[in-house]
Parts: sequence; C-alpha cells; structure tokens
Amino acid sequence: MQGYLPDTAFIPAHHLPGALIDLVQDQGIDTHRLFRHTSLFPERVIQGDAVATPREFLQLIHNSRQLFPDPELPFRYGQRLLPGHYGPISALLGQAGCLRDCLVAFNDYPALISPLVGVRITLDDEYLCVQWLDSCGAGSHWPFLVESAMAGLASVSQWLSHRPLPWQFQFSYRCPPWPEQYQVHLGERLHFERCMDAMLLPRHYLDMPWPRGASTGWQAARQQCDQQIQQLGFAHSARQQLYRFLQQAITSPPTLQDVANHYGSSPATIKRRLKQQGCHYQRLLDEVRLHQAILWIQFDGMTPDQVCRRLNFSDSTNFRRAFKRWSGLTPAACHKILQALSGH
Amino acid sequence: MNVNNLIARHRGTLIIPIVIANVILLANLASGDTKSWQELVWLDIAGEGGAALLALLWIVLILNSRPGGRVTRMLVAGLSGIFLSYWQDVMDEFIRLPDAIVWDHWLESGAMPVGMILLTLGIYHWHKEQQAISAQLIRRERIFREHRSLDNLTPLSGAHYLREQLKRELSRPDQPLALIMLDLHCFDHSRRLLGPSDSDRLLKELGELLLLNLRQQDLLCRYAGDRFAIVLPMTQQAEADRIACELQQAVRHFAFKTRRGESHFMTAQMGIAVAHDDDACSLIERANQRLPGATASWQAA
Repeated sequence: MQGYLPDTAFIPAHHLPGALIDLVQDQGIDTHRLFRHTSLFPERVIQGDAVATPREFLQLIHNSRQLFPDPELPFRYGQRLLPGHYGPISALLGQAGCLRDCLVAFNDYPALISPLVGVRITLDDEYLCVQWLDSCGAGSHWPFLVESAMAGLASVSQWLSHRPLPWQFQFSYRCPPWPEQYQVHLGERLHFERCMDAMLLPRHYLDMPWPRGASTGWQAARQQCDQQIQQLGFAHSARQQLYRFLQQAITSPPTLQDVANHYGSSPATIKRRLKQQGCHYQRLLDEVRLHQAILWIQFDGMTPDQVCRRLNFSDSTNFRRAFKRWSGLTPAACHKILQALSGH
Repeated sequence: MNVNNLIARHRGTLIIPIVIANVILLANLASGDTKSWQELVWLDIAGEGGAALLALLWIVLILNSRPGGRVTRMLVAGLSGIFLSYWQDVMDEFIRLPDAIVWDHWLESGAMPVGMILLTLGIYHWHKEQQAISAQLIRRERIFREHRSLDNLTPLSGAHYLREQLKRELSRPDQPLALIMLDLHCFDHSRRLLGPSDSDRLLKELGELLLLNLRQQDLLCRYAGDRFAIVLPMTQQAEADRIACELQQAVRHFAFKTRRGESHFMTAQMGIAVAHDDDACSLIERANQRLPGATASWQAA
C-alpha cells in the first residue's frame, strides 16, 4: 500500500505549517510553546530545511488552538494559506485558468497543498461538489481542518476569479455556538448537520475563465509538481489511497484479503497501517459507502430503495440499520434533508 | 508573569526599595552583633518575615499589572515604606543593636505611617484614574464588564457579549432598540493587498474611528472578521438610519495608512434592524440579512 502515513516526514515546515506559525506569532504568542511535543525547532524552520510529519502538523494545530483559543483562528489561517509560496504547487494555483485547473492541485497533489485533508470531487449536471476527507486521523481537530480548507478554497477562488463565487457550505457537524464566524468568513449559504463536509457550486463556474490564467506556466508547474510527487513517492495518504480504491469498487465491496492482494501486501500490514491513522477497514468501508449514498441521494435524486439496491444490500431493513449506524440518521430522514438542500 | 518584561518596564522603581533594604542590612550588620541560636524567637521571625515578604509580593503584583507613571510610583513607595518597616523588624530578631543607636526605632515606627499615607494617596489616585478609564470604555461596554468576552484582535467585545447585551436590553420591551451591522466592502480583497498585519491594524483603527462617531449610550462590538455590530438603545428607525449614514461617511473618508505610508480607502455597507418583539438572535439575523449581499455587488477594488 503506497501513500504517506502520519509518521512520514515530508511537509516542509516553513510552507503550510509556517503560515500557522506566523499567524500565532502575530498575536504576540511565544513561539517556543508553539513547538511543544514536536521535533521542530524555530531556527531550523527559518532555515527552510525542517520537515514535519502529518502528526507533528496536527500537534502544531493543537498547540496553536491551546495558546490562542479563538474560533476565528481556522478561518484566518485558511485565508492566509493560498496560493502561498510553496514552489510549483503555488505556481499551479496562481496561474490556473479556471476553477477546474485550480482544483487539479487539490485532487492530484494533496501531499503538496493539503496533506491533512483529502478531497473528493463530484460533478453532476447542475453542481460541482468538493468534499473534504480526513487524510491522517485528525480526531477532534477535524472541524478546524474543514474550516481552514473551506476558507482557503473560498478565498483563493474569489481572489483568482475576480468575482464572487456563490459557494454553499455543507457540514457534517452541528453549528457551534459561534455562527457569526461562519456567516462572516464563508457567507450566508451554510448548512449544518448535513452528513458530509463539502462545498457546492453551480457547475457553470467550473470552466469560467479566470483573468490571471496562464496556460503555459500552468502546464510547466504541473510537470514540476509531477516530478516532486515522483521524488516523494506518493501523492495521497495511505488512507485516501484506500478510500479511492474502495470508491471505485463500491457496488461490490472487496474484503480485506482482496485489498491486500491488490496492494501485494498482507491483511495484517493493512490493518496495522490503518490503525496508525485511527481507523480500521470496516469503518473506512462504511465511510465510503455512506458518502456514496449521500452523493447519490443529493445529486442523482435516488430514493433510499435505489441506493439500497446499488450498494448491494440484501434487504432494506439491513440497509436501514447499517445507514443509521454510519450516519445517525435513517435513509428516509437523510433523503428528506438532502432533498431540501438541493432544492435551494 | 513575564519577569524580563517587568524588570525592563520598572527598573528604576524596583531598584530603590531593594537598594535601601540592602543598606539597612549592611547598617545593621556594621553596628550590631548577631544573636545566638538560642536567642532567636521563631514565631516573631515567621510573623514579621512573612509580612515583609507579602509586602514585597504586593509590589511585584502592582508593578506587573500597571504601566509606569505617577500613580504606580506612589503605590510602590507606600508599599516600600511598609516593607522596609517590617524588614527592620526582622533584622532586630537576628541582630542586637547597641542602645545608643536610635535610627532603627525611627525606621521601624516612622516608615510604617509614611508608607500608609503614600499608599492611601496612591489608591485614591488609582480610583480617579479608573473613573477616567471607565468613561473612555463606556461605548465599548454597556452596564457590565466581562473580560472573558473581549475580542482577541480589537479592544472591543465579541459576538458573545453582543448577544448577552442584546438579551439584557430586549428584556425591557417598552424601550426602542436598533442594531446596525457594518461590513467592509470586499475586505477579502483588501486583506490580500495589505497583508495580514496591516489588515489586522486596519480593523483596530476602524474600531477606534467608529467609536468616535457614536453616542455615549451606544455599544460597539466586533461581530466577526470585518463585521462590526452597533447597539443603539432608545433609538427609532429614523435615528438609526441617520447614525448609519454618518458611520458610512466616516468610513468613506478614513484614509488608512499602510506601513509604507500609502493611503487605503474603503467603503462600508450597513444592515439596520429595529427591534419588534425580537430576541437577540432574530434581531442579529435580520440586521445581517439587510446587509447588501456582499456577493451581489462584489467587484475588484
């Protein structure tokens, strides 16, 4: 199984973590406390040769939130993040000719631009859906990651397109006691407790030309990103790699043994690797099936019965019970909520 | 408590009592004989020594919580008098001075009342100073103070305080109440042009500017991001419209200076809501909805 693990050191500490370090420093907070429980040193970060693991990046986020417990933090962090000065990947973003070009960065090179949050992009006749997925087991920091990713993409797409993009924001979790942060930083189109963490946009914005687009520069940047990925040996986290594999085989879910055969590895190894990321095989499979069911209901207008059949469940009672376990909702309740959303 | 910072700010004020305490110690040692182990009275040593230590602790706490200046010096001088008086008391427990020497009695009995008088004067002026500060704070905090709901970026209260305050005001339904939401036009764009530190400073300075344009009874909070909320008690629609218009003019004429000294201009948009059988959340929601859709009128600045 290829893909990076929480303990793979590959994130240049002065890039994405650097933006967080600067933000916390600007609040007048002692940086030494910010680096607690990581192997990073401020001097090395400034020299530009420190690399962090995803786990250390998460620890840095944990420390920042402890030192500066402000609900505005993820939004301000996200808004500073992109396009950034992270080498070829920033050039790729900055010269994107349209939103489709911009999303290539997130879809193809998450290791370079978003190591903690993976992305799943779905297109139907009307909507573009950018769904954010946990790459390395974020635990209680998941909302922080979602909010900074959303604020980042919303802000950079508005900046580069020179126009307002009417993103809708859909969250799996309940609205925290600070709705104002979401309203002001993301806009009024917010939907909480809607099964997944995603951003939606009418499809015709996807190919609308952006004024800063530069085709040659963008293609060259893409080549350079490919080279970087080759040097690293991975573009996605191990968990996201497996998610994508399961996503393709979702109508007849493979067993753990099948997955092991596919990767030329043993079930025990795969189990151990998933455990390192706070996950196990059945849970990941359930997650993929839930997400697929939601997308079918929300975008293809499928009824719970149709979803049940497509996912190869033997009977609807079984499906209802499983769905309730995955999402906390019955398929019918979920259908009702998501139908109301797409009627927006 | 940051010790380096403390020493840097108050070097002069701290040195004087410490030097005097050392001089007293040396004077005692020079003119008297140390007592033997059996002669020591431990209860007195603990009592007087503890009192001296506490007085010293008060000096450090006062210095740490206050900027330098006349009132701080007065408070420290008063506490130093009390500290030195106890200090000499402690010396007496260890060192026997010949009867011919009287300065130790003067120090013991004189420093205490002088210190008390200085401390009293200091506290009186502190009270006066606090009144002046409260008068300045009045448009940032109405009626009650809650330091935990202060905003991290601007010296204003945040959305939590706004909701608490609205709840209080709306519990008196006979009084009219208006709420203005003020949002900067394409602030996302400004933030990228100005950079993070200048755009943070812009919000701080804008807060000050808005305060200058408000009445005594009004309250300004930072809602989130670049959105400010203004609570107008005892205010009808027409009056709220007028104040909103004045604020808009003030923002339009505000020439924010970047670090490079360039002027950056901005415009504000307003959402005004007057309370009719509202609770805090519905009033805030209505004012937010009346903001001209930031997206609809967005264009490159």
